[in-house]
Formats: sequence, structure tokens, C-alpha cells
Amino acid sequence: MSVLLEAKGLKKRFGGNEAVSDVSFTVHEGECVVLAGDNGAGKSTVIKMISGVHTPTEGQVFFNGELLTGKTPEGVRSAGIETIYQDLSLADNLDPGLNLYLGREKMRRVLGIPVLDRAAMRRDAAEVMKSLGIEVPDPAAPVRDLSGGQRQAIAIARAIHWQAKLVIMDEPTAALGVPEQREVMALIGRLKAKGVGIILISHNLPDIFAAADRIIVLARGVVGGERRPSETNDEEIVRLMMGASV
Amino acid sequence: MTNQRKGASLAKSLLNIWSWLFLFLILAFFEIYAQIETGNTFVFRVYNLQSIAVAASQILLLALGLTLVIVAGHIDLSIGFTTGLAAVVMALVIRWIGPDSGWLAVILAMGVGIFAAVIVGLVNGWLVAHLNVPSFIGTLGTYGIARGAALIVAGGATVSIRSDAARAFGNGDILGFPVPVVVAVLLSLLFHYLLTHTKFGVHVYALGASRASVERAGVDVQKLLIALFVLSAVTAGVGGLIYTGRFSAGAANAGEPILLYAVAAVFIGGASLTGGQGTVMGTVIGATIIAVIQFGLVFSGLPPYWQFVAVGLVIIVAVLVDQSKDKLTGGRT
Amino acid sequence: MRNLIRSTALAASVGLAGMAQAQDSKDITIALVPGLTTDAFYITMNRGAQAAAEALGITVNFQGAEEFDPVLQTPVLDAVIAGQPDAILIAPTDSTQMIEPLRRAHEQGIPVITVDTFIDDGKYQDGAGDGDFPMAYIASDNIGGGRMAARFMAEEIGGTGKVYVSNVRPGISTTDQREEGFMAEMAENYPDIEVLQTQYNENDASLAASQFNAVLARHPEIAGVFGANLFSALGAANGVEGAGKMDDVTVIAFDAPTSIVDNIESGLVDAAIAQHPAEIGYFGVMSAYALLTGQSVPVSIGTGFTVLNADNVGDEAIAKFIYSE
Repeated sequence: MSVLLEAKGLKKRFGGNEAVSDVSFTVHEGECVVLAGDNGAGKSTVIKMISGVHTPTEGQVFFNGELLTGKTPEGVRSAGIETIYQDLSLADNLDPGLNLYLGREKMRRVLGIPVLDRAAMRRDAAEVMKSLGIEVPDPAAPVRDLSGGQRQAIAIARAIHWQAKLVIMDEPTAALGVPEQREVMALIGRLKAKGVGIILISHNLPDIFAAADRIIVLARGVVGGERRPSETNDEEIVRLMMGASV
Repeated sequence: MTNQRKGASLAKSLLNIWSWLFLFLILAFFEIYAQIETGNTFVFRVYNLQSIAVAASQILLLALGLTLVIVAGHIDLSIGFTTGLAAVVMALVIRWIGPDSGWLAVILAMGVGIFAAVIVGLVNGWLVAHLNVPSFIGTLGTYGIARGAALIVAGGATVSIRSDAARAFGNGDILGFPVPVVVAVLLSLLFHYLLTHTKFGVHVYALGASRASVERAGVDVQKLLIALFVLSAVTAGVGGLIYTGRFSAGAANAGEPILLYAVAAVFIGGASLTGGQGTVMGTVIGATIIAVIQFGLVFSGLPPYWQFVAVGLVIIVAVLVDQSKDKLTGGRT
Repeated sequence: MRNLIRSTALAASVGLAGMAQAQDSKDITIALVPGLTTDAFYITMNRGAQAAAEALGITVNFQGAEEFDPVLQTPVLDAVIAGQPDAILIAPTDSTQMIEPLRRAHEQGIPVITVDTFIDDGKYQDGAGDGDFPMAYIASDNIGGGRMAARFMAEEIGGTGKVYVSNVRPGISTTDQREEGFMAEMAENYPDIEVLQTQYNENDASLAASQFNAVLARHPEIAGVFGANLFSALGAANGVEGAGKMDDVTVIAFDAPTSIVDNIESGLVDAAIAQHPAEIGYFGVMSAYALLTGQSVPVSIGTGFTVLNADNVGDEAIAKFIYSE
């Protein structure tokens, strides 16, 4: 599989504080890379340098061989990188269809007057959700009526529907119960099967081992180590997260 | 699970029609009262319905734009005096043109009145969108500014006019329907379309639920907010134009007493204090309920102090139902 | 003429040196603090006050807040007191809250006269109450005005029928008194007129119109409405017009801002009871001057009213009763 994203020597300084000193890694198509690390290790800062929220002090990000650094968050999104935040950015009072199309709603004409094509958007949403293995009981119901896992699925469906090639997920299971965590893990598996690259941020060890193809441990702004799940264990990852030298 | 869901959706559809039900009950109450006390009908008299419709229209014109603002999770208190400002400005322009102002002059005066209202809306939008002032505080400020501006341009007095065209605008009828009612109905249809059938409407609902959702969807939230406050100011301004037409006088405080009723109408109509909920149809019913109560209580000869109590009770009931609605359907979080 | 007044004033003050300090009338400065500065009623009052000042050759300063509110009036009053005027004419914006701020003036030896509104019970110099210190209260007799409206109404509707009062809200002393006078006159002298429930409209003409419609729906024979202020009358009049009852229902308004001329001429309002604010201002200044020059003054002066209707509203002699803006 070819390299999808490459981060080279990322550094970010906020005033006198160096949040990230030197981080480099790659993500391949259909690969799930977990960025692990304790609070303050620099995970979020790295993510924001990729999604265009922060500009790196030094270093670059390449996507499909093209320079990504310097683009606005909008530009990064249209290049094919979708970020799913912890709060999912869903409008709870709207149905899955409208959430899927939020900002890019489908319209039709009735007697020459443009109106929202709610039915078509609902249909598309149900379809994408189905491809993720999730049946929405009532496609017209607002998403606040759905379970945490189903809501996560809508956020992911949005990424798939708009043909994201790389999805960044920030602690997707943090607020979920155990069955729903499993649902999300299964979703990640299906995303990978579609050839989508994933960067997953987590400090939950079971999640990390369940989802990751590669684990990149950040500690105090640098890459503390890189492991495949099969080559390592909980203890070693924790030690790396604490910042012990390799 | 499915049973629970069925129960919840049944409760929800009941709640969606509760305001209809409420209106129906109030009308039934006054009908029975009228039949017993006067031997006459209350509901099936054109005069009564027309009077209620005109009173409801005046409330509704302030409440229409406000509905959108409240759905988006904000509030616009300034409309009370935006109405007065538009009313005074329209009256002044007519007075300035001369006593025998024809239709053209009245239309020009209306244009200037709405322009004055739009300025208030732009200031509100700019405060909330660009300076991140909470809308309650920001529009409380413009409430004072619009009030002062209206009093200043009017010289502190009521600006009386003598214009047959303006009078016809406020008191005439189109195909038998009073002009204020026709204007309110047309604007209600337009706002219903805006809120339920356009991208703009979806973004308003989404903004009320989560600002992040619309922002990350690439919607320009600042523009959206400015549009909302301008629309709110425009409907309130139209309310002012109608006021000037109806009473042949522009008064700075024309909308002040109506503000509270307008806010109440939106909440009775099913909007939520936290935003994300509410419909134009609901607001129309809310305004009608208030107008029916005001009319019916006078009709029934209830002592005036009890009328205050009754209107207050209805508002409280509306808010209580709004709260239990969230509880019954599992709340928002 | 002016010299004559000045010399008599001088003589009077010398003669009563114990009561008032000798002053040259040219140096007398009186402050007039209205309920609010932007209202035509108070502006007209000031016009009367200035006329008196000119006649006496003294100075009257008009200073007040832009809204009818004791919280806004108090700092203005404090500033006025700091300027040490010879007397203060004031329309207090609250009958109890303004007692203490005004006492500060009294304690500094500045005589206080209230105009239009009053403090405490409005009965001064009778040894009763906290706010007994003002020297005089000069105002329209609002109860009398209400009675006048009732008499005019009775005449217009032929002494029989149903009428009601369209009022602002309970608790405003002036509009309450107008209603009280109207009711009392009807009860005492017109047994064939039934006065229905008063309707309060919060100064919203739209609500006043809807209330008229509802009263009409219940009492189709309604003969008259007394609007206790302009908007109450305008709203009721709009309801009357909408129902096509302009010939059957008499609408009487209280107060006479310039707009009332239009409303009477267009037939919306049948008559208006005009207060005489200029008279209040004039006699306020005169009373203060009398006090400062050692005369005694009546503790209460009631000023009059004029009925404006279609017959007289165009007359030149009547124009002075229309409040200036």
C-alpha cells in the first residue's frame, strides 16, 4: 500500500513553550495509525498541524505526495482529510440525512421553487450507514434519539460520503459504553477495508491494541517509540508514554 | 427498546400538536361561556375572528423574526423599540413629504422605516457575530439605543400623520381580509419556507443545536447570525409600519409592550430557551392563543387584574410544557 | 414696570427680612426639574415658567432626566441642589422615593414646590408625614378632569348607555385619578349610564383596539370610551373605526399633544380634555417668587382644563392649550 500522509519533522512553539519538538511519521492507505500519549504529550497539536488549524513552526505535512502545510482547514478538508472531533460536530436536532449533508444540502424544485430534498438526503444517509453495517431505525428522527455508537457512525458516514481518504478521529470512544466502543472499533475496521487511512488519537490501551496497525507513542513533544501491536505489550506502551528512553 | 421508542415518539407527536390543542381548548372554553352567558356564539362570528386576527398579527410581526433568532439559540430584545423606531421614522417621512401624501410617498416612507430597522439588525448581528457579545446583553443594549434614537427623531412626542394612503395600509382590507392580517400571513408563509425548506433554515436549526456543527460544515456562521438579526429587525419594523398605519401616529414605544407577548408567543409555539427548537407555525398559534385570551377575557368581563394573571399563567404553562418535552423525549444531552 | 416689581419686591423682602433674605430679583434663580425633559407636557410647562420668569425678570433653569424615573431624576436633582438655586420647582417621579433627595434641598434652606406630581400625600405644611416640607403643590386636578370628561361624555351620548374607561395600567397616580373622577361623576349624576369594567392596555394602542373590539362583541350597544391617555384613546378609536361605529361611539381622550388636533379633525377622537401645563409652570414660578419675596402662598393650587373638540380645535384662542413639542 502506498504512503498517504507523511509528517516530516513537525515542530510547534507557542511563545516560549515548545508543545511539539520533532515528530515524523507516515500513514498508508487502509492503515490505522494510533497516536498514543499522555495528556500534554502533543497529540492534539500534531493533529491540528495536519488539519490546518495550526501552522507548524518547522516541518511539513505531505498528502498524496503534495504539500499540505499552509492550507486552511477548509482546504485540508477538500483535499480529502476529515477530522472527527470528540463532540462529533453533529446537530442533535436534525435527522441523519441533514447531518450528512450539513453545509452541502441537496435541493430539488417544487413549482420552480428550490426546496430541501429531505427524502433523498435521508435515503443516502441510510445507505451509507448500511455500508457501515448500521441500520438506522427511524431515518426521520433527530440524531439525539440515536445511540452513541450510531451517532459516531453518522460522523464517520459523513467522512465516507464526502470521499475522505484520511480520517482523523479524536478519542472516539471516550464518552461511550462498552458495547458502543465495540461498535466504533468495528466501524474503524470497515473504514480500513474501504482503503481509508486513519489516525486515531487515544490513551485507552484496549482501544489502541484493538484498532492499531501501528502505534506511535508521543512523549513530551517527540516520538518516544513506534511499535506494531504484535511486537509489544501494555507495559511497554505505558513505559513509552511515561517518557522512558527506548 | 422499541416499545420505549414508540412511547417516546407518541409523546412527541402529542407535544407537537399540544399548542393546537391548547388553542382549541381555549376557543371551546370561550364558546361555551358565550353560549351560556349571552346565548350567542363566540367563535363563529366574523367580527370576533377578524379582531383576534388583527391583534394576533401585530404580535406575530414581532415574533416571526424572533422565532428564527430563538431557534438559533439567541434572543433579540431590541425588537420592542425597533418597531417603535420604524413607526416613528415612517411617520416623520410622511409628515415631511406633506399632509396629502399619496401611495408613492407612503411606500417611500415605509422603505426608510425598514431601512432604520435594518440598521438596528446589522448592529445586533455585528455585536453577536463579530464581537461575540451574548445576544441577551447585546440586544438589551440596542434596545436602549433604538429607544433613544426613536425618541430623539420623534422629539419625544408621538408623530401624528394625516395620510389616507397610510391609513388604508393600516386599516384597509384585501378581498375582505384586513391588511395587517394579509401582511402577517404572507410573511409567515415566507418565514415558514425559509425555516423548513431552505439551507438557511437547516443552518439555523443546526446553529441552535451546536455552533461547532455548522462551523465545521463550512457555513459562515457570522453571516448567518447577521442575517438572522436583520430578519428579526425587518419583521419588527414591518410591525411598526402597520402600527403607524393603523393609528395614524408613529410612537417610539409602539412595540415595547408587545415585546413580551412576542417572546411568549414563540415559547408557547414550542421553541426552547436553549435553542434548536421551534417552528413558524407554532409561533403563529402562540400569537393567536395570546390574542384569543386577551380578547376572550375582555369579552367575558373578567376584572382586569385577573387578565394579567391569566396571560401570565399561560406563559408559565407554556414553559413548563417546554421543559417536560425535553424530559419526555430524553432531553438534549 | 419691571422696576416697579423689583422695588416692591425689595420693599417686601426688606420688610420681612427675618423670613427671606433680601435679594435683588435679578439675581433670583429658580430650577425647574420636570418628570422628563422630552415630553411635550413638561416642555409646555417650561414655556409657562419662562413666561413668568420674563415677567418677573428672574431666571428659570429647566433641567431634568430623559425618562420618568426616580433613579435618573435623583442625580439631576443633586446637581441642581449643588448649584444653590433660590428655589426648586419639581415634578417628583415617585411619591415616596423622592422624599429624601428633596429633603436635602430643604435642609439647605432651598424652598421646594412640587408641580404636576407630588411627594408623600400631596398635602404639605400640615404637620403630617415625612414629606411635609414642600411649600406648595401646583397641578391639574386630575379627578376634576375625569369628572369633566364624564360630563362631556354624558352630554354626547344623551345621558344613557354603556361606557368604559380605557386606561394604561393601575398605579399611575394621574391616570388613576382621571378614572376615579370619571367613575364618581357618572355614579353621582348619571344613573342611566352604565360604566363597564376598566380595560388596561399597558400603553399599547394595538391592545386597546383589541379590547374595544371585545367589549363591542359583548356589548354591541356600547356608546362611549374614555381614554385616560393618548394611546388608550387612539387604540379605542381605531377599534371604533374598524367596526364602522364612528357615528355611534363617542371617544374622549385626555391630554392634548399636537397630534390630537389631527385626531379630532379626522373624527377619530370626538373630544380631548386638555390640561394647562403652561399654567402650572407659570403659577409655579409665581409661587416661588412670592415665597422668596416674603409672601405666603396657598399650599395647593389646582389648574384648569379645556375641552377640545371639532368645533373649537381650529380656534386661535384654543391653540395655546395644545402642548408644544
